[in-house]
Amino acid sequence: MASNRWLATGNFFTTYQEEQRTFTTRLDQLIFSIFLLTLFIWPLLFELSRTYMLVVDNILIAVVAVLGLNLVTGFAGLISIGHAAFVGVGAYTVASCSRMIGDSHIIITHLWPVMIIAGGLAGAVMGAIVGLPALRLKHLYLAIATLSFQMIFEWTINFMAFFNQGQTIFVGRVMWLTGEVGRSDHYVFWYYVILIVIVMCGFGVRNLFKTRYGRALVAVRDNDRAADAMGMHPGLTKVYAFALSGFLAGVAGALHAYLYRGAGIESFTLHHSISYLAMAIVGGLGTLNGSFWGPAAIQFLDLQVENVAELAGHYMPSNMNLATALRPLTFGLVIVLFLMFEPRGIANWWRIVKSYTKTWPFRY
Amino acid sequence: MTYLNVSDVTLSFGGLNALTNVNMHIEKGLITSIIGPNGAGKTSILNCISGFYHPTKGDISYGGKNLTHASPHEISSMGIARAFQNLELFRGLSVLDNLLLARHSKLDYNFFQALVFWGKASRVESENRAYVEDVIDFMELEPYRKSLVGNLSYGVQKKVEVARALTLDPDLLLLDEPMAGMNVEEKEDIVRFIMDIQKERGVTVVLVEHDLGVVMDISDRIHVLDFGQLIGSGTPAEVAANQKVIEAYIGEE
Repeated sequence: MASNRWLATGNFFTTYQEEQRTFTTRLDQLIFSIFLLTLFIWPLLFELSRTYMLVVDNILIAVVAVLGLNLVTGFAGLISIGHAAFVGVGAYTVASCSRMIGDSHIIITHLWPVMIIAGGLAGAVMGAIVGLPALRLKHLYLAIATLSFQMIFEWTINFMAFFNQGQTIFVGRVMWLTGEVGRSDHYVFWYYVILIVIVMCGFGVRNLFKTRYGRALVAVRDNDRAADAMGMHPGLTKVYAFALSGFLAGVAGALHAYLYRGAGIESFTLHHSISYLAMAIVGGLGTLNGSFWGPAAIQFLDLQVENVAELAGHYMPSNMNLATALRPLTFGLVIVLFLMFEPRGIANWWRIVKSYTKTWPFRY
Repeated sequence: MTYLNVSDVTLSFGGLNALTNVNMHIEKGLITSIIGPNGAGKTSILNCISGFYHPTKGDISYGGKNLTHASPHEISSMGIARAFQNLELFRGLSVLDNLLLARHSKLDYNFFQALVFWGKASRVESENRAYVEDVIDFMELEPYRKSLVGNLSYGVQKKVEVARALTLDPDLLLLDEPMAGMNVEEKEDIVRFIMDIQKERGVTVVLVEHDLGVVMDISDRIHVLDFGQLIGSGTPAEVAANQKVIEAYIGEE
């Protein structure tokens, strides 16, 4: 047994199982636990306004979705431009159930965890179907196939009466042990739910990458000829990547439907797909922690730009319409700057900071 | 004892015949080399055996099983592994992960066990790691275990390529020019590994190589291809005396 498990120094592995651990030192484990605990207790200490709590919830939902996108685009190297549609599939699973059986039916209000998983499964099935072209197509051609799914999805929702032609379909309030979750607790309640989902998904994905199910994804990204020679079916591995990503997107969508108490097409458009892609790029493609940085950074930026635009709106003539132009402008600029100067995303800054603090006060 | 049987294989791309009626018997436990001038069809025949190409005509059978139309992943699960001529490694992964990947179809935990990574998945993965460490030890790759493959030198990458094929735990190992572009010292290393692979691990080796000195020294059987046709086969001494082979390599008088 290692003599010192608190620091990296003197922390020797004597079995391979010890080396598989997610946290190599007790210190890492402690810091992570404290961080997690902070995330769980801060809403009890401060009260954030409903507007800001909604922003926080939005970031967390985006984290779940981007985690899924990162699996397919970052790790498996398959560009997906239809991710918002997968999120939409999850949301519309909940919404169409609510339309069929009534928005405050017991299944919607009491069995909401089941509904969330059902949303995920629906996303996974759609993911597998949309992933089928990956058996034949590669690179940009595959990206176009995912784009066409986005188009088909939007068209279907917009024109089918069953989906209320893209107008909001309502979903009822859910029940918890203490009774119905009311208006005042709504955002805080869902904050906790989404946080738990993220922790579960995060550890799940982390574990997956210690096993063949994760390594196979990276194998088809780096070299699918060799992956074939290693005994895996590269096409089916890609379909599996899409299904996995669809599952996480579907879960994010179901959470979205519950959080907004309804689903409408305006949250699942091509614009959102691009924005998920941007979050994945800014966070860092092919890194686990990038899925957390990206949504936080983009949403934070969005908020700041909105404030600036509002401020500028007071001084600029209104016909210049700066306020509306500023958002897409900064959004595009940030993506371009990241692609040019830091293609590995914020995750790379995190890596640099970590290695710096580890060796401090020495340089290397 | 015939082990891998290539009978009457023709491979054509449009009007071009890369292989014409090639017959080849590869015997168990030996080192068999396939040689020939550039464009003779050496890599094509390896591609046919490993399933990347399918012969236009003819059959390939291995230990009684027909693998003429099998896909690469089916063939690798039958115990035929292959190292590529142009490095086909997973460049974004470490040496360790590259080798762990080769064990893909040998790991028998399911998706949900992997998700939880407790009990079976964790145990199987650590056994898996022990197996890979054994190969790393055998191929003397210890210093590079954790480095990214893309950052390693060419010679080491070639070694990783052979190590990865070996990690598949094959009965038959196909090596496509494992010594191309190496210096004498590195070549000697690889030759030593090939001989150890055959002797210690009991693996049948099929070697495609241009360095005739090496081929003559270590091969038990040699097959010579020229313009897609088999022009000679036998022991190194027989092949060296074969008039057609001499003509193909040196030219006619």
